[in-house]
Amino acid sequence: MAEKKRYAFVIDPARCIDCRACLVACRAEWNTPPGQTRIWVHSDGPRGTFPNLTQTYVPAQCHHCADPWCVEACPTGATFKREEDGLVLIDEEACIGCGLCVNACPYQARFRNVQTGKADKCSACFHRLAAGEQPACVATCIGGARMFGDLNDPESTVSKAIAGRAVYRPITDEVNTQPMTLYLTPPDASAVQVNPTRRDPVPAETFWHTIGLPVVKLAIAATFAGQAAAFIIQLLKGENEYEDA
Amino acid sequence: MTDQERKRRHLPLTRRQFIKGATLAGTGAAMAKAGVFDLGTAHAQGVGTTHFLPGPTADYQVPTLCEMCVWRCGVIAKVRNGVIEKLDGNPDHPHSLGNLCTRGQSGLMMTYDPDRVLYPLMRVGERGSGRFRRATWDEALDFTAEQMLRIRDTYGPEAMIFSSTHNLSQPLFENLLNAYGSPNYGTQRSLCFNAMITAHLLTLGIQEPARRYDGMNYIILVGRNLFEGISTSESRQLMERIAAGAHVVALDPRFTKTAAHASEWLPIKPGTDLAFLLALINVIISERLYDSWFVERYTVGFEELAAETAQYTPRWAAAICEIPEATIYRIAHEFAAAKPYAFVHPGWRTSNFINSFQTERAIAVLNALIGICPEQGDCIFADETAVTVGVPPQPPYPRITALRLDGVPWKYPLVPLKLGVFQEIRDAVLSGEPYQARGWFFSRQNPIMSIPDRARTIEAFKKLEFIVSIDIILNDSSWYADVILPEATYLERYDPVHPVGNRVYIRQPVVEPLGEARSALWIYRELGKRLGLGDYFQYVDEEDYIRQQIAPFNVSLEQFKQVGYFEVELPEEGGERRWNTPSGKVELASETLRNAGFPAVPVWEAPPEPPAGRFYLLTGKVGQHTQFATQNNAYLTQVDYHTQDLWLHPAAAAERGIADGDLVRVTSDVGQVEVRVWLTEGIRRDCVYLAPGFGHRSRGLKIAYDRGVSSSDLHVTYTDPISGSQALTQTFVTVERA
Amino acid sequence: MSHEKLTLEEREALRQQTLVKHYTANILTHWFNAFSWLLLLPTGFAILLGKAYPFVPQAWNDLVRNVFGGLAPLIKWHAIWGQIWLFVLVFNVLFGFRKYFIPFAATRMWMDKDDWRWLMIRPLQMFGLMKDKPLPPQDAYNGGQKLYSYLVLIGTFFIGVTGMIMTYSELIPTSLQWLIQWSMPIHFIAVGGVFAGVIIHVYMGAIMPEERQAFFSMFSGKVNGLYAYLHHRKWYERKMAEQAAWEDHYQRQLTAAEAAGGESPAAPEPAPTGGDR
Repeated sequence: MAEKKRYAFVIDPARCIDCRACLVACRAEWNTPPGQTRIWVHSDGPRGTFPNLTQTYVPAQCHHCADPWCVEACPTGATFKREEDGLVLIDEEACIGCGLCVNACPYQARFRNVQTGKADKCSACFHRLAAGEQPACVATCIGGARMFGDLNDPESTVSKAIAGRAVYRPITDEVNTQPMTLYLTPPDASAVQVNPTRRDPVPAETFWHTIGLPVVKLAIAATFAGQAAAFIIQLLKGENEYEDA
Repeated sequence: MTDQERKRRHLPLTRRQFIKGATLAGTGAAMAKAGVFDLGTAHAQGVGTTHFLPGPTADYQVPTLCEMCVWRCGVIAKVRNGVIEKLDGNPDHPHSLGNLCTRGQSGLMMTYDPDRVLYPLMRVGERGSGRFRRATWDEALDFTAEQMLRIRDTYGPEAMIFSSTHNLSQPLFENLLNAYGSPNYGTQRSLCFNAMITAHLLTLGIQEPARRYDGMNYIILVGRNLFEGISTSESRQLMERIAAGAHVVALDPRFTKTAAHASEWLPIKPGTDLAFLLALINVIISERLYDSWFVERYTVGFEELAAETAQYTPRWAAAICEIPEATIYRIAHEFAAAKPYAFVHPGWRTSNFINSFQTERAIAVLNALIGICPEQGDCIFADETAVTVGVPPQPPYPRITALRLDGVPWKYPLVPLKLGVFQEIRDAVLSGEPYQARGWFFSRQNPIMSIPDRARTIEAFKKLEFIVSIDIILNDSSWYADVILPEATYLERYDPVHPVGNRVYIRQPVVEPLGEARSALWIYRELGKRLGLGDYFQYVDEEDYIRQQIAPFNVSLEQFKQVGYFEVELPEEGGERRWNTPSGKVELASETLRNAGFPAVPVWEAPPEPPAGRFYLLTGKVGQHTQFATQNNAYLTQVDYHTQDLWLHPAAAAERGIADGDLVRVTSDVGQVEVRVWLTEGIRRDCVYLAPGFGHRSRGLKIAYDRGVSSSDLHVTYTDPISGSQALTQTFVTVERA
Repeated sequence: MSHEKLTLEEREALRQQTLVKHYTANILTHWFNAFSWLLLLPTGFAILLGKAYPFVPQAWNDLVRNVFGGLAPLIKWHAIWGQIWLFVLVFNVLFGFRKYFIPFAATRMWMDKDDWRWLMIRPLQMFGLMKDKPLPPQDAYNGGQKLYSYLVLIGTFFIGVTGMIMTYSELIPTSLQWLIQWSMPIHFIAVGGVFAGVIIHVYMGAIMPEERQAFFSMFSGKVNGLYAYLHHRKWYERKMAEQAAWEDHYQRQLTAAEAAGGESPAAPEPAPTGGDR
């Protein structure tokens, strides 16, 4: 296998003009259903009072974390972290749309596609990467706020963009999934889909782990052990024909 | 379901199609091809890694040109199963540089708009009832020609109004009206950039100064909102300068997205940018900060300018424009110190106040003072150079003697003939002066939405005998037409070629047109034939037209189509720089203006102010829409959130008991709308802002109909006597809770 | 049981008797079911994955996934076979409802006092305890089998319903997503429960020599009288009574026909010698 890549998004909010071309590019590339989107640009009104105002726009998408909770939550492995480049992807055909990953993602980067019924999120346009193109949002970004590339390659756009600069990862003390999005300015603390929040597992998931798994394990273990014991006893005592019963 | 229907309904590919159209994108590994896992690559998470994920790939790609605005970026269209799946910016085009803006990205939804007009329509109900029937092309064209000939024979060709907006086939449309013999041609220009172009023509002899950004360290934007009124490459260049540390001053009564990125935002009082600029001129002249080499060598009227502007001190200006004296003084010094790496942006849509012409003059003069063409290096502003392409032969146009309804030049002597004064045409239809117009032919245009005072425009439309429209969807103006000729979208048709610099670009069909939509080239020629004007359209078909255009160059159409452009060697420009003005120099003082009875140098003209209790009604673009044309685009309406509300300062709202999100009634002298309000610190207390383009009234637009409100309902018609520019911000409104 | 009362001759006579225990349709259904479980269980376990579901070793996941050419094909095959399995079972129940299912349910499902007592004694005997305690007489199926049938029926119902929900999850709107979420643990628990039963079932049916007749009857459909008498006395006695009643009836008809001097009556229905009732 060729040398592994370490793909990452580098985002410079200072360069985002909130034109939302990336949102349309993504929508067109993936035909995302109306009302749903794989990527965002966050802005919360101007801050300060007239005329001393500031405002930043924070692009965000799936962070393709190095320690992805969504992958951990997926019961089938339909969502997986690709070994060769670290992208967190979804095998739609293996997805049953249960939404555990949607709930598990602390960045709310995932959603259940209302048309396919499958989990959906940014896939870093892996097919474009394979064709030597940039992800649709990055390719069209007028301000150059969205960047994408291989951190293992010192010549890549992202490596150059972060060279000698402080970078900020959207993590908290509580949540550190090692997101592979590096911000060049500290991300706004209120931007929900940028900063993580841990959510409780859904009741079915809790039930499964606290009751379902132990009970089934116990039941199987007990019956198996019982039958094995009976078998051993049978061997020791010799066989009884039914007619002896 | 066909793939077209799927795209129209935003449906993803079915799985079968997904795989059928797939190459081995994404995974690359041979294992994926065999559909077998590689045991050795199991991931730490316990996940097999070599998944086969196809991803949406294309069957073929076509280079063409965007038409979501007039910037004309290069586009690479990706097609699968005959359906356009994605548009990408062409890195080989200087206007796109590989990027596309929001609108450009959404372009395919114009083609797959469920509300498209796919067949010629003829009106059957009352005008404005929206009742049409499907007609054949022959029927629709015959009827149109018959009506146009009847009007010409009965009332003279001047009774027919023609109007259109910037587009590549515009020369053919102009061919049609010139050959027909009508002097009445309306364009968007007077609603947009008349002031900017007239002022720069009179000062520099340049009509659309191209801006150069490389190396620029100090940029003053007078209302130019490049991050919302996006021109892909220019917006990108500005951001590159900002990132490189250039100082950007944004003059705007509103905290726009450009202001958010500027080094400083000066919330100037509307209409007083002129005072600010005059004060800069004052400081630069009085403290001798200008480029004396350039001024002496290339300008006329410096003394007169100095004399006039002596009175416009920063203190004087501060009282008018509400920017502190010290700030004006500082900016004048910083700006001059940065020369020649500094400029004041000439702006684009400059139809704000009657004094906008003077504002633009002041910008042109200010740029000249700090040396628009420094001793060493290129000129900062120059007309865009372009290759001259071939044209099919045609006879001369008939002589036209009738007066123009828009008052050029008999009422507006200085307005360039090709700019015109669009809003005057509407008023002339209503007044019947100097004569009564009878018919209106518009192409790619929506006058009912774009001309101020929508109610009057509708009235004018109802007064006409015959209206024909070339359109893609049933926009508000086409709603009132008698005949609608469906045009193919820019992704379905050829257009005349587009020369940019030393390159010539082609717009070519990416897919077959839907329904019976046809290219403008075809429509004009067919109509020309029926009007007996076939000699003005001497081409067999669209490809033949382009062949004649590229005949002077050594390139085949097939090559041209494949690459999307070809390059031509331009002759080196040599010799002394000459300015295309009567004096051959930069005219700080213009004799032309003086002779027409206007001040020769920029002078202060006080703009009208709103009476107590009223607000300036600001307009200005949002990055997600182009004028009045894209509000039915299903992709754009997904991302134009937060653009339809009325901006209002919280203090002004508090005085009126208005809370954020309230429905408010906005009233001007000509109209009233009810709209939701957004309270923001990002606007002056004496202003409200409403984005243009919403509030469509055509029921033929299922998405756009009744979505948001139209500022055209509120705008009062005022025309600048020099440039013919409409003064959009001179509309004052009251705001109260609905 | 009071088998000590049987003499050697009686035993031999009983051994010569043959009773039909299972209809061919039920035999086929049983083995189809067994085969399906053999396919579905390992594939199902191989679908479950992730740190949060440490149920099967990673090597097993990799192996099975490789056999099927990846996760998606594995899920697809599991779903396809699951649906075939479900379809066959539902079809059999629906179309064999009167002929097979009702009589089956009538004798097999109802637990009486003897069944409960059997359940208390028999497991202990397997471990060599309470050897002297006589087992209460059983019907066609013993208490354990009856209990297991509940497990299988209920389990199959939940496995089927949740399996279908997960297979056609695309059709479930997100507002009802909890259906999919709950389907997974329920599917899992149902499979786990039935599987626990299967372990006993397989041991007792296939390995334990005392029930060997039952094992072979699952191929031939027949058991000998001795086994039926010893293990399913109630059933055996019922069958014998039915046989006697039928013979009586036939005899009466023959006698009546002879008395009338006419011909022999048409061959009556054969004796109800067996089946799952």
